[in-house]
Formats: sequence, C-alpha cells, structure tokens
Amino acid sequence: MNEQFRVSQKLGLMFKPGDNIPKDIRSWALSQLHEKSPAIGIKSVSRVGNSVVTSEVTNWPKHLQPDLRERAKRWRIYRAFNKLARKENKSNAEKQRNRQENQFGEIDALKFSHRNVYGNDQLRVRFLTFWTNHFTMGNIHDNQNVIGHAMDEAILANLNNNFSEMLFKVTSHPAMLIYLDNIWSAGENSKHARWCNIKPDCQAGLNDNLGRELLELHTVSPAANYTEDDIRNSAKVLAGWGTHLEETLKKMREQGKTTNHWDYFKKDFAEPGKKMVMGKKISPGKRGLRQLTDFLANHEHTIKHISTKLCQHFVSDSPEQSDINQIAKAWRDSDGNLDKIHTKVIELAIKSKEPKFQWPMTWIYQVVRLSGASYFHGWDQVYNWYDNGIMRNKEVFEELGQSFWATRQPNGYSSKKEEWLSGEMFERRIRFASAIYMGGETQVSTDKIMDRISANNATRKLVDSVGMNEESRFIALMCSAELMGLENA
Amino acid sequence: MHKLNLTRRDFLKTTGASLFLAGVPIPGYTKDKPPGTISVILLEGGMDGLTAVPPFGDPDLLKMRKIISPKNYLKLNSFFGLHPSFRVLAGLFANNQASVVHATSIPYVKRSHFEGQNMMEGGGLSPFSENSGWLGRALDLANTPGRALSLDMPLVLRGHNENDNFYPASIRNSSKLNTKLIEAISMAHAKESADVYSKISNKSKVDVSNIPRDPASLAKYAGKVMSQDEGPLASVIRIPEFDTHARQGADTGKHADLLGIIDDVIAGYREGLGSAWDRSIILTMTEFGRTVAVNGTTGTEHGYGTAGILAGGTIQKSRIITQWPGLSKNDQFERRDLMATIDYWSVCAACIEKALGLDHELIAKKVFLRPNLPRVFDYIFS
Repeated sequence: MNEQFRVSQKLGLMFKPGDNIPKDIRSWALSQLHEKSPAIGIKSVSRVGNSVVTSEVTNWPKHLQPDLRERAKRWRIYRAFNKLARKENKSNAEKQRNRQENQFGEIDALKFSHRNVYGNDQLRVRFLTFWTNHFTMGNIHDNQNVIGHAMDEAILANLNNNFSEMLFKVTSHPAMLIYLDNIWSAGENSKHARWCNIKPDCQAGLNDNLGRELLELHTVSPAANYTEDDIRNSAKVLAGWGTHLEETLKKMREQGKTTNHWDYFKKDFAEPGKKMVMGKKISPGKRGLRQLTDFLANHEHTIKHISTKLCQHFVSDSPEQSDINQIAKAWRDSDGNLDKIHTKVIELAIKSKEPKFQWPMTWIYQVVRLSGASYFHGWDQVYNWYDNGIMRNKEVFEELGQSFWATRQPNGYSSKKEEWLSGEMFERRIRFASAIYMGGETQVSTDKIMDRISANNATRKLVDSVGMNEESRFIALMCSAELMGLENA
Repeated sequence: MHKLNLTRRDFLKTTGASLFLAGVPIPGYTKDKPPGTISVILLEGGMDGLTAVPPFGDPDLLKMRKIISPKNYLKLNSFFGLHPSFRVLAGLFANNQASVVHATSIPYVKRSHFEGQNMMEGGGLSPFSENSGWLGRALDLANTPGRALSLDMPLVLRGHNENDNFYPASIRNSSKLNTKLIEAISMAHAKESADVYSKISNKSKVDVSNIPRDPASLAKYAGKVMSQDEGPLASVIRIPEFDTHARQGADTGKHADLLGIIDDVIAGYREGLGSAWDRSIILTMTEFGRTVAVNGTTGTEHGYGTAGILAGGTIQKSRIITQWPGLSKNDQFERRDLMATIDYWSVCAACIEKALGLDHELIAKKVFLRPNLPRVFDYIFS
C-alpha cells in the first residue's frame, strides 16, 4: 500500500473516490487534528432502476441533534406514553411512533456512521472512536438518549483540549452517571441518607460502581495499587452527581440550582467532609469532583495506562515500550494536552512500519469509503428495515458484533488483535464485503482500488487467483491481509 | 424515583447471551472417547450467591439483606433455600440431579470485573497471566479439538489447536459462502489468520441460520449437537449483566430475572441433550460474589464468596456442598464479603475429571497450574 493509504488505514478511514490525496501525508495527518467536524451525511438513498441514487452530502438537520434538555424532555414523553400504554390499549403503530419520535439511540448511531463514511475529518473520527471506547457508556438503564450527546459534546468537542477537561466532562455527563449507577448514589452521612434510613422502607447510601471504574478503567488502572478505601472515597466524591432524565426541573432547581443535566449536583445526596483518594485530599461539595478528576488526569499511572492503550490502538499490534514512553513523555511535557499527545501518536504510527489490525467497525467504514458504496441509509430512513438492498444501521452493527449503543461491559472493546481472530468474525467480513458489493453499488472497480492504494503483490495475486467475477475480486481484496491491517505493504 | 419496569420478555431480548461449543472428537484421532460432556455457564458481572441460594438459617442474613432476599424461596434443607426463579432447577434438585457449592469462589480477591473475568476464563495464577483458557487446556489434554459458537473466541476455550466457532448470521443481500474463494483468501494470509479463514470453509457446510439467539434456544441447540455421537464435548454459555449495583430486587426484579435466565438455560440443555443428559455436567461460574450488606441503592457491590450451581445426569445425589463460614461481620472476608471456603477451581477440576476422564493430578497441574489443588470429586459425584 502506498504511504498515503497506509497512513489513512492506520489512523483514519481511507480516502473516498474523488478525495484529493495529499502529497505530504504527515502534514496532512497532523492538520487533521484541527479539521472541522460538522455532522454531515445524507437524507436518503434510493434505487432507480439498476442504480443507487444518494441525496447530496450536507449537514445533519438540527432537529435530529437536540440538546440535552430536549433529549430529557423527549425521554419524559416517551416514558409517560409507556405508562399510559400499560393502562390503555395502545396500538403497535402508536408504540412505534412513540419510540421513533422520542428516542435518539438509533438516530445518533446513524449519525456516527455518517461521520465515518462522509466526514472529511477521518483522523478526528478515529480519535473520537478511541475515546468513546475508552469511556464506555453502554446502553444500560436505557440511557440511549444521551450516549450520542456525550460523544459529540464531551469527547469530540474536547479533542483539542486537555485530557483533564475531557475526563471531567465525560465523568459528569448524564450518559456516564446513568450507565454506572451514580445517579442513585448518596453519601452515607448525606442529608438524604440520614432522612431516608430512619424510615422503614427507604434505603439510601453509596454505590461504588463509577467510583471504582473511574480509577480502574478511565484513569490510573489497578497497576496503581489503590485500596478499597480509595474506591469508596472516590464514590463519596461522586455521590450527588447526576439524575435520571425524568427528574422535574423544579426539583433540579431546588437541589442543584440548575436545570442543566450536565452540571447537576444534588446537595442533599453529597457526603459531607473532606475525602482522601490515593493520598490526595479532596474538598467537600460540588467542586470536589473536578479536584479528583484533575488529580487523576495527570497521575503517572494514568499516563502510563492510557499511553499504552493509545499505542496499542494506533501504532502497532505489538507496541514497543519505547513508543509508549514517547507518548507518555508528550503527555507529561504538555500536562495532558491532547493535541500534543495525539500528535505524538500520529508521528509514531507513521514511523512504525508494524501493521495494525483494524476493528470490524473501522474496517466496514473503510471498505465503504474506498469503494464509494452507499451502504448506509439516510437520516430520513433511520427506522427502515432492510430496504433497497441495505440493512438498517442498527442491524449492521449487531451482526458485526460491535456497537457503541449495545449493552456492554465498561471495559470497552479490546484493541488486541487476538480478541478478534475468530472464524465467525472473519466470516462476517466476507459476508459484509459481499453485501456492500451487492447492495451498495460500488463506484470504483476492484482493479481501480488496487491501483489507487498501490496494493502489494500478494494482494494482487490473491485477487487474480479468484477469477474474473467482480464480486469475488472485491471480497478477496477487502478480506486480504493488507486491507484487514494484518500486514503492511 | 425512576424505576425500570422491564418485563421479563423485554429483558430477555436485551440480554445478549452467547454460546460456544468445543471439543469435537475426531474419529481415529481420539483414542478413547471421553465419558461425558461439560457445559459451563459464565455469569458475567458477579452473581449474588446469597440471593440465588439464600442461607436463611443464618440469623445474620435477614439482618443485613432483608430487602433483597427472596421471601418465597424453596427450602432445600434446614439452612439453605433456592430462589423462586429456579423452577426447573428445583425439579432437578428433587430428582437428585442438581447440587450447589456455597461459600466458594475462584481465588481472586481484588474485585475488578475485568481481572476477575480474565481469571475465571484463563484459570491462571493471576489475571492476564494466561493466553489460553482452562477449558481449552482441558480439551487439549483430552485430545478433543473443537469449535465454538459465538462471534468472538472466548478466552476460556482458547488454547487448543482446532478451535473454531459458529454463530447464526443474518446479513442480507450477501452471497452464500464460496468455499473456493475462502480457500484463496486463506492461502494469502499469514498462518495465524489463515487458520481462521480455513475453518470458515469447513463450516460453510453446516447450516446454523435458523437457530434463535435467546439463551434457552442456544442451550437447547448446544445440548442437541452435544448429544450426537460426533458432537462437541464442551459448551460455554455466557450471560452478562449480573453487576447489580442498583435496584437488585428480591423475589422479582433484575437479579431474579437473571437467575431465571440460568434456569432457562439449564432447561434448554436438559431438553436438547435428551438421553445424553445422563453423561452431562453443567456448572455455573462467576468472577466474584457480591457484598453481604445492601448498598445505598438497593443493590450490592463487588464481593468475594458466592455460590456455584451444578446440574446434570452425572450427579447421583443432590447436595449443598459447603463449609459455611457465617455472615456476621467478623466472619466476613475483609468485614464486607461472604468468605470463600471452597476453591472453585477444585469444583471445575472435578467436573473435568468426570466429563473428560482425566486424572485429578494431571488436571491440577496442567489445567489449573496448581499441583496442590484439592480433589472434591467425591463430594459432588458420589
């Protein structure tokens, strides 16, 4: 593969037919960090006769990208209807309309696919993907209405910021606070717990789920040898943060002097007094969380833990300690400036000639971009089942076994190649390459793609060995070791 | 406050269980066919053994966890009860075909899911120390290569050469697998990935497209293929989401629904295995138990000791196998968790011994890397 495509495979999503291929790939890659990231996509795909017609690529409509307040409001409407539906006999059509009008999980997931397929900010989208996986917010307790919001506003919006900012914004986002149960947690000596625990059928107290994962997964990792007390104290700092989306605005004003779900701290649930986490003294009250996340963001173990993850995800399947050290050094030298950290990751990924196996999710977007196929529905068709030869976005990722909107464990998807080497996973790639070829109307021939990327001899030999059938040639190319990121040019 | 009113059906729909099958004896390759089959139900997230099999004879139980303990439990003996979600299991108990090991755990005490799950599948001396899994190593020792049914290859089965997996795919508008094409792709890959591709061409001959993916149907399918003469000897079903930090429920609710899934899976196996039930053993395992005390959000936190459930026709007498440590604060592990008095690896070892016909010493040394692992075979199978 030529250098341009090698870099865009490792760090990006491949160049689309018609994209200008930059001569100086390193400068281009670095400039990508500051590319604009509007959510662009298409309204619809249709089939006219034998050809696929795609509407023009333009900005996603505003009404499909609501703010948190609107998302919470829609959630309340959704729940109220469901309550009513249990009493009255509502038709399936009405129930479906309620889901489609008031839930945002599928809309956000399609928007994410469009970002991947149509975006001109391919490196930023890959970093968005990395951090979304690092800060897993799976669809548990049905928090699907806010996951996409956290991705756009807490992660993507902070890609050029400091890690400490991203950490705080994600930790305090309702998607995380709901996912890891923090919205119900109350300090054992909080006003709420004291009031509640003298009543017979009332239970209130600490829930350590987020406090634990904040240390174990999001920052220092078990290598830091923190104790159960550190975990509990971290949970005490978090107690009071967040609420479910059905909370009344009146209650929010009373408890937190705000109606903003992303800045909501229930004073009656807070644990009074200072807390000690890994030797750091944390102030009582709302400001405690920022102190804690700032402390953790620049902790030596956080730097080591996340530098290793970045290296494993972008640089090589068997990362060199010296590469990890360089990312860690960039982190230390810049006090966690993500631009500096990402710059180092990009430089090392380009420098390393080691292959980097690509996730199923990344691979499918790369196949679609390389071929110019129209394999994802437009936003007007988000709820269409199989239609015009194309599967529903949600279904694609269920079949692929990888989705940020699935119910899953907080450790996210592994970047290790071994976790994905299975017959079933590979069969999915063959089947999807076929489906993209059959349903997506590829714009470029397999030969043309091979010329464009300067496919290596082994890949060309493979493609030629499967005969003249264009579908077989396409599948062979996309499932070659070269295109799966299993070997380099 | 917000309550999750999931109906059982909705819940099953959203719970992504997955099935893995392994250990297919190859004629002429396996000298003596192992005597039985082994099925492992992995309960991810930390199953609460004190709710599944409540020790109602312990005076501290209701003091500490009244709101999450079932009221309508089935009495197993004067001390232990069985959660009402276990309807099929209760019947098996009555027929001497199920047992419980209580106050047990794998020897991992640090309460991290991801370290704990890695230990539970890897079976090594510490988390992330092994690249293969205990069941994979056991099948390898028994010379029974196999295949798995799921999207990914679980660690627990890794480690034997002929590993492969199945999972019913539904990718529309994709062509049928073309064996020649797959072979060409396989040949162009380096060994590691070439091996994976070459297995796909074998499996393109088997039609698994009509298997529903709910846990009970997967178990039924697994039981059916395991009952065949040339069928796999081992299967693994993974059930996620036991991590009930909030609103755990008691007789009903989230944890009760999850226990119901275990019951469904056991029922599925029972039906699918048919007459092969008599030579089968099914066991559950989880990375850790949950705290004795209820937390502030009517759930429980990560703990240590828990219960293991065993079922199958190889069991001769239903028992509750335990050295009960007590639930008072001083009896608890680190004054918060149920103490584990039985190493669950020894339970797994006994099941391997029964199903695969291997010697305990060999299993202890080669599978669990612990030459001194106690043998508890007679407590379970006599």
